[in-house]
Amino acid sequence: MSRRTQWALLAYRIPREPSTPRIAVWRQLKRLGVAQLGDGLVALPLDARTREQLEWIADAVHQAGGEATLWLSQAASASQEQRLTAELASARSLEYQELIDEVENAAAPNDRTVQRLRRELRRVNRRDYFPPPERAVAKAAVEALAARFERPAVALGQQQP
Amino acid sequence: MKWATRASCHVDRAACAWLIRRFIDREAEFVFVDDPAQVPIGVTPFDMPGAQLSHRGHDCSFETFLRHYQLDDPVLWRIAEIVHEADLDDERFDAPEAPGPDVLIRGLSMTRDDDRLLELTGPLLDGLYEYVRRATLLGHEPA
Repeated sequence: MSRRTQWALLAYRIPREPSTPRIAVWRQLKRLGVAQLGDGLVALPLDARTREQLEWIADAVHQAGGEATLWLSQAASASQEQRLTAELASARSLEYQELIDEVENAAAPNDRTVQRLRRELRRVNRRDYFPPPERAVAKAAVEALAARFERPAVALGQQQP
Repeated sequence: MKWATRASCHVDRAACAWLIRRFIDREAEFVFVDDPAQVPIGVTPFDMPGAQLSHRGHDCSFETFLRHYQLDDPVLWRIAEIVHEADLDDERFDAPEAPGPDVLIRGLSMTRDDDRLLELTGPLLDGLYEYVRRATLLGHEPA
């Protein structure tokens, strides 16, 4: 049997109002790319960074007058774990596909477009815990676009004796 | 004075420890714990959940230290932006330098214990301070 993934689980309840801290927590969880296990229950594969980030979010929930506990655990069966990892991989896969579409449909791309897409790619990479095949495709697409803006400069340089 | 923080220091804790030694308490001694409940009595905790000198609202712990000790040196506030982005990566500030310290200190925490990590990051942060100080005086990147 292969070893199961360790997960960090955050169980939290945060008051509906005021909405600012509740929305801030929601944004942070989204940025981290958590798996939503239920209402007020999210999971990330455990490592030093994910654990620390969830600890800070738990702290923010407390400061906002809510309740939060962090748990370290593993799925009881391999199939449950596979469903969870597949769900996370497919969420990232959608984000990579959006990037790929953006590269293909860029009307008048310039080097600013490239910078923006590279930044967005880095953001998705940071929350990509179970890389789907689209990860490499998206990277190749963005880098191919970048190459289109680097080539003319190189060609100009080569014309000089 | 004795200070406590969580073990396996990353960029925010390393920068706070540097700040304490250089600007707050020259004789500072650090202890590292796994759990906030392990902080010994009489020791000041920082950068851990529940501590006063920790993340506050949008601020990372380094920013909380600057506010708490009223350190208004613009060089430290620019370093705070870099530390904030390296730690939280929430794009609140424009700090293109941030991924550098993030991966370097993350890597150090894999290969060195916390005492050694702080010994090594101290001179790095001294260097960063000098660089940012010159950049601030000149109004552009120093050579």
